[in-house]
Amino acid sequence: MPPFLRSLAAFALLASAGCSLAPFQAEPPPPAPRTSPAGRGPVISEPPPVTSTMPTEPDVQAPPPSVPVPRERPKVAPATLSPASSALVNLSQTQRKKGDLPGAATSLDRALRIEPSNPLLWIEMGRLRMDQRNYAQAEAMGRKALSMAVGDSHTQASAWQLIADSLRARGKNPQAQEALDKARELGGK
Amino acid sequence: MAKRKLNPKFRRKLQRGFAIVALLGLLALIMLVAVLDRRVTQQFEGRRWTLPARVYAQPLELYVGQDLSSTRFAAALTRLGYISRSPVDRPGTFRRKGDTVDVYVREFRFSDEKQAAQKLRLSFDGDVVTALANASGTDVPVYRLDPLLIGSIFPIHGEDRIIVSPAEVPALLPEALKAVEDRKFDTHHGVNPLAILRALFVNVRAGQVEQGGSTLTQQLVKSYFLDSRRTLRRKAEEAVMAFILESRFEKADIMNAYINEIYLGQDGRRAVHGFGLASQFYFGKPLSELNLPEIALMVAIVRGPSYYDPRRQPERALERRNLVLKVLAEQGVVKPEEAQRAAKAPLGITNTASRSANYFPAFLDLVRRQLREDYQEQALTETGLTVFSTLDPLLQEKAEAALSDELERQDKGGRKAAHGLEGAMVVTTPQTGEVVAIVGGRRASFDGFNRALDMKRPIGSLAKPMVYLAALQSGGYTPASVVMDSPVELKLESGDLWKPNNYDRKIHGQVTLLRALTQSYNLATVNLGMEVGLGPIAKTYVQLGLDEAPPKYPSIMLGTAQLNPVEVAQMYNTLANGGFRSPLRAVRAVIDEQGKQLKAPELEVSEAAPAEAFYTLNRMLIEVFNRGTARIAQRSLPPSLVVAGKTGTSNDYRDSWFAGFSGGHVIVVWMGHDDNAPTGLTGTTGALQAWTRLMASITTTSFEPLMPEEVEDRWIEYYSGLETSPYCSGSAVSMPFEVGTVLNPSPACPPGITPEEGALMQPLPFAVPTEGEAAIPPGTP
Repeated sequence: MPPFLRSLAAFALLASAGCSLAPFQAEPPPPAPRTSPAGRGPVISEPPPVTSTMPTEPDVQAPPPSVPVPRERPKVAPATLSPASSALVNLSQTQRKKGDLPGAATSLDRALRIEPSNPLLWIEMGRLRMDQRNYAQAEAMGRKALSMAVGDSHTQASAWQLIADSLRARGKNPQAQEALDKARELGGK
Repeated sequence: MAKRKLNPKFRRKLQRGFAIVALLGLLALIMLVAVLDRRVTQQFEGRRWTLPARVYAQPLELYVGQDLSSTRFAAALTRLGYISRSPVDRPGTFRRKGDTVDVYVREFRFSDEKQAAQKLRLSFDGDVVTALANASGTDVPVYRLDPLLIGSIFPIHGEDRIIVSPAEVPALLPEALKAVEDRKFDTHHGVNPLAILRALFVNVRAGQVEQGGSTLTQQLVKSYFLDSRRTLRRKAEEAVMAFILESRFEKADIMNAYINEIYLGQDGRRAVHGFGLASQFYFGKPLSELNLPEIALMVAIVRGPSYYDPRRQPERALERRNLVLKVLAEQGVVKPEEAQRAAKAPLGITNTASRSANYFPAFLDLVRRQLREDYQEQALTETGLTVFSTLDPLLQEKAEAALSDELERQDKGGRKAAHGLEGAMVVTTPQTGEVVAIVGGRRASFDGFNRALDMKRPIGSLAKPMVYLAALQSGGYTPASVVMDSPVELKLESGDLWKPNNYDRKIHGQVTLLRALTQSYNLATVNLGMEVGLGPIAKTYVQLGLDEAPPKYPSIMLGTAQLNPVEVAQMYNTLANGGFRSPLRAVRAVIDEQGKQLKAPELEVSEAAPAEAFYTLNRMLIEVFNRGTARIAQRSLPPSLVVAGKTGTSNDYRDSWFAGFSGGHVIVVWMGHDDNAPTGLTGTTGALQAWTRLMASITTTSFEPLMPEEVEDRWIEYYSGLETSPYCSGSAVSMPFEVGTVLNPSPACPPGITPEEGALMQPLPFAVPTEGEAAIPPGTP
């Protein structure tokens, strides 16, 4: 349904509801409507009418409810780095090549402060942990990246690749193979 | 005239006696000098290498797209002691012209590289940085400002200092010191007999010791041994030691030692020594950037740091500064017109009366504790380490203000029990587990009892999310599951019967998990917890990052476990981080004097448990703000900001807690009395207010975790847990469920109702209230 129709329908609902339904502004002051974090429609925040049957104004401020959740998760475009993070990742890689691992960590720390929810930075941190031979943390960084890459198969593939490498480095070959299969399935290199 | 002749024999004896006495005296003198020599030389050489670790805040990162306005940027520069002036021609200066700021960034040695001083131009568009370029116009992708010095880890006896090398000392300072304190410094041998005689004359006439004829060298010696008794013997010893110093060391070394050694002020427990720290303490900027009136003031303070304290005795200090300026002109150190101009300048001391700028003892306390895990005390206080901490100075200041404003509001409020409260606050960044601010009490700059770390209190209902987390992890519960909010009696280990009550003393009957948590119902929580079991509940404390689980008493479900605010922050940080545990850290890097990186806590993450339970719990904690005990905070928070959290109130209103988070920050607040007296406050009426003040005043992001793949959103009725449609139910709330979860449909408003159908339906009464609450409007806090 096109958005304008949806709004229209919602308005019709609210207008008719206003005649006898009194849930929306039962007590002052009305808190501002909040959107659920998943962005899938309003979370109506007023208590329901239990005693009151008095008609009240329709709550025209409430955003129209959106369509129910689709079962298929939408695909998300591959994650990218901001120019600032990108510069810091480059710097970190240069530092790594020179063997300056603490310096490389500092640069990634800086990038993570700028974009803490960018899965690519967590994968990069995991790669650094591989160089530091801290394989358990390398895997943990990969898993953290996965949690931030829902729907982004490209980034998921890189994270699984990192996890596979960290498992192999610890001699966990069957699990490493599983992780690698996941990476391949998701279209990684 | 007859001479009386001594018996020659006797004379020889007498002579021998004299010789022996003289020899012994000489020996004693030599020994004394040797002893003094040893003492003063050791002190002098030792002192040159005793440097407390310097601790820096996190640097301000500059980059295009950053959320920063030119006003806030100028304020950040001013805090760092940058001077607004034109032209911008030396490090430490800047100029703001509308939405463009030119800044000459100081040189600074970071943990990974030395950043050279550089001139930058930043352009802003409102709250966003739109361009960042260097002097030749080349774009710079990202750049760090030099960080704020927030203190140092000084030894127990409280001497703090920032060592400066001769190159960092403005040439005027030693000249001014000589002109005012010791005009013969360049030529004397440690003592100035003429000055001593003059002082003696004055003292004899005054009948007491009033004026010192001390050279700079003598003052240095006196400072080394921290003994201000002005006895003749001490004077003599000082003179000998000064003589020894002069004969062993260069004048330049002695001047440098003096500049780094001398006492220049007091800040609570901390004694401010040396001009390097004093410059930060009084002016908030490096010594090398001081101008003539500022240097003159420092020289004025030397004579009596408390008598001429520019914060407490500004008039006296100003008078003496101008006297110093006059002397400098007379002695030809500066031109008379320069001195006259300088005499018109204000004192220029940084902000408030009693505190030094940029000193955060509660945060430093945490830094010190974390460093002690890797370093010996001596390494921290003596070897000149540089510590890069995670403190965000702006946020720290806002946290201090939020807490003290709220405590003052309570002081003036009608609740007598809430007068004179204490408080504590901890702020962390969820993804990286960095501690960005800590407030240890009402007087944040007071280096005393640190409530954020040293005070353990029952956490009250802050413990409830742990019960629900255990329930969700067990796989048998969803937010729509129902549980009885009905009286419960439990036999405790002691044999006593435990009969908890609801906060509102009412019984709500059958309630959903969602409602029981958001409304913080005690009885429903205990009933749920007994079904889930104490073992899994206690285990969540470790999952969330505590070192050990609390004892498995039933009362832990209602928060009898005693934790400090930092521990609470650790646990809620793991929640905010979607179940990834990152040990909180206050330190990012440590380097030694040569710039080599040493051991420091690293960023670590570990997955505490599968993400689904955490995601679901967090969505329920968002509802605490939409319809639960934190609803009132909506009035003060930006409408689009999504946050999650939980109130906590301990027995008899002794502790008022709030712990909650946005996407970028976890904030934990405690309020209560030090003597544990009741406050009359709940988590909502106390701690939440301070929490909201801070959350509303900072730059942060919404809490918007990504939904795990195995989970989907569905609409349920808040009261019954039945699946419904938002188009016909006024209590519909969207909650996450594992894909394939079976939910009972609401008979009156089933799922799948379209807006059009909903519009035609009769309005519905809501889930039938159960016995015991028929007359209570649900949702009343």
